[in-house]
Amino acid sequence: MYGWIWRHLPGNAWVRSIIALVLLLAVVYALFQYVFPWAEPLLPFGDVTVDGASAGGAGVGQ
Amino acid sequence: MSVRLVVRTLSELCITVGALIILFVVYFLFWTGVKAADAAEGEIDTLRSQWAREPVAAAPPPPSPSASDSASAEPSAPAPEPSPYRDGKPFATMHIPRFGSGWEWPVLENTEVRTLQKGLGHYSGTARPGGTGNFAVAGHRRTYGDPFKDFPKLRPGDAVVVNDGTTWFTYRIVKEPHRTVPTDTAVVDPVPRGSGFEGVGRYLTLTTCEPEWGSSHRLIAWAHLDATRPVSEGKPPELAG
Repeated sequence: MYGWIWRHLPGNAWVRSIIALVLLLAVVYALFQYVFPWAEPLLPFGDVTVDGASAGGAGVGQ
Repeated sequence: MSVRLVVRTLSELCITVGALIILFVVYFLFWTGVKAADAAEGEIDTLRSQWAREPVAAAPPPPSPSASDSASAEPSAPAPEPSPYRDGKPFATMHIPRFGSGWEWPVLENTEVRTLQKGLGHYSGTARPGGTGNFAVAGHRRTYGDPFKDFPKLRPGDAVVVNDGTTWFTYRIVKEPHRTVPTDTAVVDPVPRGSGFEGVGRYLTLTTCEPEWGSSHRLIAWAHLDATRPVSEGKPPELAG
């Protein structure tokens, strides 16, 4: 998978390294900005309210 | 040859998943705290500039301190009904000296997930700070800045100070944190069940999760209004020094 990506990047080894680094940073940014904030409420740690229906997220309290 | 390809792809996948998990843990334990500290600071700044800009809007409530001056005999303090709090917007700051002298968090209206990522959440429909009834507030125990990390350390007599821009309200914790189940909504009732309070009063309820990293239960702390002080007279003694 990574070998395939590497082979398809243009330029010499230096250019490829830089492009790979930029790609990696872009992926990490997307994860922190969009994927993790979406996934995090699905975990139970955010439930701090008493609300009767506690499934997923903090829910709306009474 | 194809076996080699399968094994290689599989190992790459495993490494990727491992990296993802580590990144998520970093996000969860560290980055949410950074985001929450930033957001809470922003909310407090918003609140301060709002209070500085609109001393007029802050003027009407003074009946409440005067009412509390005349001993708790007159429960008609919230009679001049102020405008309702706006969803997801801050309206007060909370200070709990037991959690550290610098412990200050904004209190925002409603207890939705997004609101609790920026500070403490006020249960919509419960009383206002200093009002008759129960001023109920929820907060994260872990992640998002860990505002209620030291929740179990609350002891009877501890001060919980709330500032709504016009008045400092000092509440006193009445008993050690109470453990209950998530469906026990009676703990935020005007006269909370299990608190030992009898009859109508000016109460405060704090809720957070229990155990620390779980969600099977909730921890509840109750307090009653002990003193009020106009903001113009400076910080209450609990916050001095």
